[in-house]
Amino acid sequence: MANAAMSAQGGRVFFKQGAVLKAVVLVLLIALIVLPLLRTVLFTLEPENLRAWSDVLTGRLSKNLFYKPLTNTLIIGVVVATFCILIGGFLAWLVVMTNVPYRKLIGVMATLPFMIPSFAAALAWGTLFRNDRLGGQAGFLQGAGLDVPDWLAWGMVPTLIVLTLHYFSLAFTIIAAALATVNSDLVEAAQIAGAKGRRILMGIILPVTTPALVAAGSLCFAGAVSNFATPALLGLPVRMQTLSTRLFGMIEVGQVSRGYVIGILLVLISAAFLWAGNRIVSGRRSYATITGKGGRAKRFDLRSARWPLFAVAMVILMASTGVPVIVLTASSFAPSSADLFANWTTHFWIGESRPDFAQGTAGIVHNPDILRALWVTLSLGLAVAFAGMVVGLLAAYTAARYREGWMSAAITQVSFLPLLVPGIAFGAAYIAYLGAPIGPLPALYGTFALLVIAGTAYLLPFSVQTGRAVIQQVGGELEESARITGAGFVRRLAAITVPLAIRGLAAGGILIFVKIVRDLSLVVLLFTPTMPVLSVVAYRYASEGFTQFANAITVVILLISITASLIAQRLQTKSQPWLET
Amino acid sequence: MKILAATRLGAIGIVLSSASFAQGNLDEMTADALLPLAEAEGEVVVYSFTSRIGRVESAFEEAYPGIDLQGFDISSTEQIARLTAEAQAGVTNADVIYISDTPVVLTALLEAGIISPYVPPRVADRVPAEFQSPLLAQRLSTKVLMYNEEANPDGAPVSNLWELTEDDWRGRVIMVDPLQRGDYLDLMTEIVLRSDEMAEAHEAYFGTAVELDGAANAGERFIMDLFDNDVILVGSTDDVNAAVGVLGQDNPPVGFTSYSDRRDNEDEGWALQVANDVSPAPGIIFPAIVALAAEPNNPAAARLAIDFLMGDESETGGPGLAPFYVAGDYVTRTDIPPHPDAVPLDDFTAWRIDPAQTATIRADVGDLVLTLQ
Repeated sequence: MANAAMSAQGGRVFFKQGAVLKAVVLVLLIALIVLPLLRTVLFTLEPENLRAWSDVLTGRLSKNLFYKPLTNTLIIGVVVATFCILIGGFLAWLVVMTNVPYRKLIGVMATLPFMIPSFAAALAWGTLFRNDRLGGQAGFLQGAGLDVPDWLAWGMVPTLIVLTLHYFSLAFTIIAAALATVNSDLVEAAQIAGAKGRRILMGIILPVTTPALVAAGSLCFAGAVSNFATPALLGLPVRMQTLSTRLFGMIEVGQVSRGYVIGILLVLISAAFLWAGNRIVSGRRSYATITGKGGRAKRFDLRSARWPLFAVAMVILMASTGVPVIVLTASSFAPSSADLFANWTTHFWIGESRPDFAQGTAGIVHNPDILRALWVTLSLGLAVAFAGMVVGLLAAYTAARYREGWMSAAITQVSFLPLLVPGIAFGAAYIAYLGAPIGPLPALYGTFALLVIAGTAYLLPFSVQTGRAVIQQVGGELEESARITGAGFVRRLAAITVPLAIRGLAAGGILIFVKIVRDLSLVVLLFTPTMPVLSVVAYRYASEGFTQFANAITVVILLISITASLIAQRLQTKSQPWLET
Repeated sequence: MKILAATRLGAIGIVLSSASFAQGNLDEMTADALLPLAEAEGEVVVYSFTSRIGRVESAFEEAYPGIDLQGFDISSTEQIARLTAEAQAGVTNADVIYISDTPVVLTALLEAGIISPYVPPRVADRVPAEFQSPLLAQRLSTKVLMYNEEANPDGAPVSNLWELTEDDWRGRVIMVDPLQRGDYLDLMTEIVLRSDEMAEAHEAYFGTAVELDGAANAGERFIMDLFDNDVILVGSTDDVNAAVGVLGQDNPPVGFTSYSDRRDNEDEGWALQVANDVSPAPGIIFPAIVALAAEPNNPAAARLAIDFLMGDESETGGPGLAPFYVAGDYVTRTDIPPHPDAVPLDDFTAWRIDPAQTATIRADVGDLVLTLQ
């Protein structure tokens, strides 16, 4: 507020121009995000649903319905976010700023865990650590004669580990993009002045990457608290509930209003945390680190720590990527899930339909449903990535360039909202919102357009947040000089901001593509039989006990995701001088 | 203008009445009479709560090559959510609904006017009245106590449900979370509804009357004791099957799951068997419903598909019924002989649920389970 008052004189022209843009973006975000959620809120306020609020908050059920799951949820959010920043930041620092061996390999592998659906990692954990609590087949370690205690096999500890190993790559991507844009002038000046590595890290690099660290922490927090698959798979056997498993359970058994109330509270709680994070970032005036001049700084020499640090990185990366991939792949060939490495068959991939095998289901290359789902999924990924980056860039640009005023704060907050909404609730809200006709607009239920719109809205936090961290670092003076020479808004965006921020935008685009391709929770309600997507098909097979088909499809999702990111990295190579040796 | 409007109204009236006449007429038609109409429609969409719809699909298309049956495997709970959303959107995707979760279906789908009943006239005299109304049941399915036959060659290790609340079975009873799957909430509800039998069983096993100690009845007491005894909750019946059934276990748990999953014993390496002699009952038996969408896109083909799902005139119902003619599923048609490998329905001791009654206290039992987790 004080800032706004101080700059009122000089900023008047600035403000007016920003106001139009801000209003446009805000209206767009409200239509995409606020209205569907508002419908959900209004639903719980209808007289016959009002009781759900007291049931959840004060009744005899509230302890189990809300307060215990809330505690678990907050522990998960805080611990996972903290470790994600530490691990993601450590790896990003290694890759971008040091001379650790095989930097490229580490860089590529660190982006992979996020492409594996989190339920796959949870299943892999079970395969290894499962103990005899559940009976049935023991896990690998138990089979090898080790006694795996319950706390390591089920519940909070494995959930924290699996989620951290899943979300740290999100933190890595964001922090690495930010670190890569740290102005070499600053680092070089410090080096010339005789500052040591530690001091450069604490004095320069950490402060200028604060927006990225906060963004990464916020995204990991929000992702972790709304994750459903992992706590459901690992927590249920010891009856550990989080708000998202509670929400899912309530909707599953038809107690929709209670479910929505829990969902609304989940949104509010996460919003409080994100608001705090946002305060930290907007408290500072400038994060401009890419300016009109400056080059690459010398890499930090790790000396004798090169190989030990490399080994630490590889242990983390193998645990998060290698193990799940091996388990999934092996299981897509193994006829019995009880014995992963015996009697391999290719039936689940290329077999023709046989009545005596898997209820006559053909291998996935002969299966028209799966091929159609593949096509729909790819189209959806591209459409959502494109739409998401356009809207996300607009919102990020607006929020970063015109930081003052309630509207830009609102833009930031609103664009963050979908993250806090468990996908299944967001999907339900969208069916209520666009499923039925609105005035002259037709009902979108069951159309490709509905999937694209909902997917774009749902993943907006990722596009806005990555865009924002990078755009804030593109110096305002470049744009300023363009404006002085008479370039209009679109031209400035296309000629200056986009090219300079392309790395962050491309990273955001990849994240969105991958996230929608492997997303389950959002599309599980939105999909219709005529518009199938791969993850839902995989989920259906998994729930029918056709684990091999499910895992084969998961491997296909994995291949698509990895290919996508490799192509993107190839495209980016020219603008990634820090990866050249 | 007025005359024109009146003519139009009249025309609309005629169209409407002939449509409703056709609708009524379709219900009376035999499969042979439906066939040409169905072929003109060309396709039929089935939402099914079981994956076995895949086998029905190929069998149907073999029998009626001109009609494309699109079968989609969607869990009952999800079907209810999906059909409700579709109704709100004014969209009809499914022609035929094949579903369990009857207590919810009756209110959420039938009373809401989203689905409507249909009984093929061909089999109307061979399905007991209780399975024709309010909706047609194709077969009965189960959620019952199963044990590992390999580890217990002399029969079930449990003879009374109350044993499951004792130390021997601490942490060794598995079921799906009743708050995530409607069938299991129905099972819990039935235990409460059968409180008198539960009380008798308590007396028979412990020799003492049940002490309620805060519970409203013996059924609730049992559920509370079961949860106190560290019952293990999982996400799907297949998790229960694997935990209980996998071969080579020394001391396997027991669990509540579908009797008919025993059909997968050979494929999956399980040794599942039903604990039919446990008292007062091993679990519940409940109907699997077939119904029409209220306004199906393919009304004739939809009826033909339901006719097909009820089985043909051969001894065991032919290809339409074949996927369901397995041990542990009980076909409702009286002229189909019981499956030879299964406990005959008359000897099967599971409780038959009354969906309407289940619906009355289901939410309360859900709340009880909630306080125990």
